[in-house]
Amino acid sequence: MGQLCSRHQYYKNEDSEENAQAAEIERRIEQETKAEKHIQKLLLLGAGESGKSTIFKQIKLLFQTGFDEAELRSYIPVIHANVYQTIKLLHDGSKEMAQNESDSSKYVLSTENKEIGDKLSEIGSRLNYPCLTKEIALEIETLWNDSAIQETYARANELQVPHSGYYFMENLHRIADANYVPTKEDVLYARVRTTGVVEIQFSPVGENKKSGEVYKLFDVGGQRNERRKWIHLFEGVTAVIFCAAISDYDQMLYEDEKKNRMMEAKELFEWVLKQSCFEKTSFLLFLNKFDLFEKKILKVPLNVCDWFKDYQSVSTGKQEIEHAYEFVKKKFEELYYQSTAPDCVDRLFKIYRTTALDQKLVNKTFKLVDETLRRRTLFEAGLL
Amino acid sequence: MRGGWRMCLRLRCPFCICPCSHFAFARATFPFLVYKVPRPQGSAFWIPMIQVFASFNLLVAIMMSVNLIKIRKRHWWQSCYLWAVWIGGPLGFGLLLSCRIVQAFQLYFIFVKKRLPPIRSFIFLPLILLPWIAGSVFVHVEKPLNYRCEVSAWWIIPAVSLHLFYVALLVGFMRAIQHVEFKFHELKDLWQGILFSTSSVGVWVAAYILNKIHENVEWIEIASRFVLLLMANIFIQVFFSMSSSQPLLSQMSLRRKQHPEIGSMGKALGISDSEIQSQWEQSIVIDSNEPLDKLLLNKKFRSSFMAFADSCLAGESVRFYSEVHELDKLPFDDSVRRIYIARHIIENYIVAGAAMEVNISHRNRQEILTTSNLAHPDLFKTAVKEVLQLMEMNLAKDYWSSVFYTKFKEESGTNMNGHDLELLTSWNASPRLSSVHAADDPFHKGKDIFQREIQLLDDISND
Repeated sequence: MGQLCSRHQYYKNEDSEENAQAAEIERRIEQETKAEKHIQKLLLLGAGESGKSTIFKQIKLLFQTGFDEAELRSYIPVIHANVYQTIKLLHDGSKEMAQNESDSSKYVLSTENKEIGDKLSEIGSRLNYPCLTKEIALEIETLWNDSAIQETYARANELQVPHSGYYFMENLHRIADANYVPTKEDVLYARVRTTGVVEIQFSPVGENKKSGEVYKLFDVGGQRNERRKWIHLFEGVTAVIFCAAISDYDQMLYEDEKKNRMMEAKELFEWVLKQSCFEKTSFLLFLNKFDLFEKKILKVPLNVCDWFKDYQSVSTGKQEIEHAYEFVKKKFEELYYQSTAPDCVDRLFKIYRTTALDQKLVNKTFKLVDETLRRRTLFEAGLL
Repeated sequence: MRGGWRMCLRLRCPFCICPCSHFAFARATFPFLVYKVPRPQGSAFWIPMIQVFASFNLLVAIMMSVNLIKIRKRHWWQSCYLWAVWIGGPLGFGLLLSCRIVQAFQLYFIFVKKRLPPIRSFIFLPLILLPWIAGSVFVHVEKPLNYRCEVSAWWIIPAVSLHLFYVALLVGFMRAIQHVEFKFHELKDLWQGILFSTSSVGVWVAAYILNKIHENVEWIEIASRFVLLLMANIFIQVFFSMSSSQPLLSQMSLRRKQHPEIGSMGKALGISDSEIQSQWEQSIVIDSNEPLDKLLLNKKFRSSFMAFADSCLAGESVRFYSEVHELDKLPFDDSVRRIYIARHIIENYIVAGAAMEVNISHRNRQEILTTSNLAHPDLFKTAVKEVLQLMEMNLAKDYWSSVFYTKFKEESGTNMNGHDLELLTSWNASPRLSSVHAADDPFHKGKDIFQREIQLLDDISND
């Protein structure tokens, strides 16, 4: 017995250093987990190109240190890439339509622009794009003003042309300047498909400068292959911000050109609502791209999308826009209540109308979100 | 002595006499249960499983139809038609041969026609089974079997010819793909299958004739039953293999000690990494100003970048790039190996719902899936371009300011230049994803998930 004790003593001395280290580790882990409990986890979910990364950028601009000049400059290759990709898509699209359509003559480029078109298409298919100089910008502008390209752009919903394409085309000369530094607006318009997961931590400082809650925001990719990665983020989420681009009702998916984007958003929303880990999670639905919706609804009726086929337009102009918006909102609400199990009924659900590119609007919306979530936390803690 | 024979053949437990179907089942599920390999999608999983199912059916059908198990009462489910006709035919022998034919059909299209099979296997398999089902229905309606589950010679001949017709079909596919130099044991498996199915049909016919000629001689009966069961057991073992549908998994041995390298098809095909690490590649300066496609040629950089991408759940892009790079190392005329790798890449990275599906447009995906030449050198060119652009715009920026880059710099022994230091300290040097520890690579070899503790240990030891 004595022998055992002494052996134990011997081991104890040897291990005391290790024990101290282990205890230190334990203490630190405890501290961190305690600190993490006060951090609220927010997820930005949604289908591809629904505006998640734009909201993410807006939050960075509003509540973190913002973008300094170096970071703004780092977006120049992205913006140039957007320009080249847009003009290439439009050029190739016009060629295809010239072949397939019945009244093909309006999609045929004028002879003097054919060479420019082929050259730009070749540049657009390279891996590394050249820097956008004044000369190339002039050529792009000439091609953009060609009637065939404009006709193709009118049918851009059938191609996968990003909306930022139009914005950059309009600002081509400013972008091609040698000393160009992107503005915040340019950075918000710059389109890059997100892959994997990105996170930031921020705190929305209140008006009276009192420090608010600490939030951790996660941005994900929206295409189908990216969604298998979402599952790693689903534990312990305070709120899910689901972005749905309501102006996409007549467009097809980037990763599957046979599926309508709005139908995909509908199915995805349903799927997210039914996840068991979100029983107590608040849901904030951002009906995004309202600015594009306003313009589109007057030209393209909502009924082109299967989900909205029972829509009846009542009037024109602003009234029509509001009516259409209310219809879409009601559809999403119905979907929410259909997909919510009886034991999840008391989770928070709110719908917000957003335009992710509008900084003031996003700021206002987020303040509302913050207030709602804080109230919810107090409510759950039994203090309200 | 006779009593002894009789006793051993009147075993009550059917499972004792089909050891081979157990072995086949174990062989099929071993990679998934023990090595935790993710379940493959589609036909690569179902066809081996259906083969196990069919083999079990065949054995039980033979046992029941030769009345091996003595059961007291006559139940409805002991009916001869159920066992000898339905379960032995379309769900047993017919199903086994049809699976093999489907696999041969796939091999023919992939290696000879160099394109993906036009008919999905879950449509093709029932189509092939139709003659068996039609035959069974016909027999069921006509009811020629007697109480001892035997049938007259007029009925045996069409039955045997149906069996032999399917074997002939398999032989036909074999001859079409004979000239291809397969790297795994596909041809060997198919030959074995043909050989054994012909011999088992032969044994069956011989047993039948013997029993007819020398009716009621007990030792012939017992011997023929024994030989039939033995043939069936061997037949199943021979028929069961995974090499056509899952060549990498078929390399895995059942002995746990031999831990296999299943991550790379390139390694399995013998493409060594060290082949082409040229002087030029080693001398590339790793600098954030270089374009990404040039930097990724350097092996150490590539693995550091891959680790970073894995940490923010975007690893599939780098892996896809890396595997296409391996494909490009092969000479243009080595079409067999090119096709193996192309098929492996398509199944793992391109097919919708694949384990490591990459983020590419619909058009690029369809171009690859409907290609008419799987060995074409430019098959994945546009997809790789798209993925590289994705990585450059998305991941590269965050990489330069991440801990993975600092570690890489330390390990390669060079000092950071001023520009890179600036990058590190300029804006948000926080990790792209801090708290989620999940590898995107389903074959991750024991990634250490207690990173937080290790970091703390480092902190403490540095204090």
